[in-house]
Amino acid sequence: MTDLLQSMGMAASGMEAQAMRLRHVSENIANADTPGYHRKVMSFREAMDGSSGLSGEVLPGPVRLDRRDLTKIYDPGHPLADATGHYDGSNVDLVIEIADAREAQRSYEANLRMFDQARQMTQSLFELLRR
Amino acid sequence: MDITTSIAARSYAQARQAAGPSPKPDGAAGGFAKLAESFAETLAQGEMTAKAAMTGKADPHALVQALAASETAVQTVVTVRDKVVEAYQEILRMPV
Repeated sequence: MTDLLQSMGMAASGMEAQAMRLRHVSENIANADTPGYHRKVMSFREAMDGSSGLSGEVLPGPVRLDRRDLTKIYDPGHPLADATGHYDGSNVDLVIEIADAREAQRSYEANLRMFDQARQMTQSLFELLRR
Repeated sequence: MDITTSIAARSYAQARQAAGPSPKPDGAAGGFAKLAESFAETLAQGEMTAKAAMTGKADPHALVQALAASETAVQTVVTVRDKVVEAYQEILRMPV
């Protein structure tokens, strides 16, 4: 019984982490045209339980900045343009962001299914008791 | 004749003793108290999370999780109560 409730908790933590991931993806997409913007990459880590070590839940880890070079955009009329007429854009690649968003969606769905399955298993157990 | 009535009285007395409530209900009562306590705690947790979610302090995922836990707890208690009431009615229907 507690195992089923715990798996519900873990699925909820996974959904929360994926929601956070999607938040960073939308932040990256929103700043795709911001000069000098480095895209944010988030990581995941397992949550620590106070007494028994790892608890099995997932937590959003520290957010890192992508170190790839910024794209050089040629626009001599831009206020940030240097002597050659280029300025630093962002290093956001929309294709990568969309793929990341889709991955977050799939992972969210998987967690949702797990949550629903744990709930259904609990309910069918009580259905047995009710007869 | 006198002997048979006294035998009957004695066996009645024995039966009464056997059918009486057991002298130490502490274990069962303690278990039920603990169960009720944990049930109330689960419900309180669900209510607290719902309130926090309404005011935007809690994550909707936590709300869904707490509501699922409360739902499970309520279902457990209702099922057990139904079983107990059913057993009681079964005893009441017993032809005496």
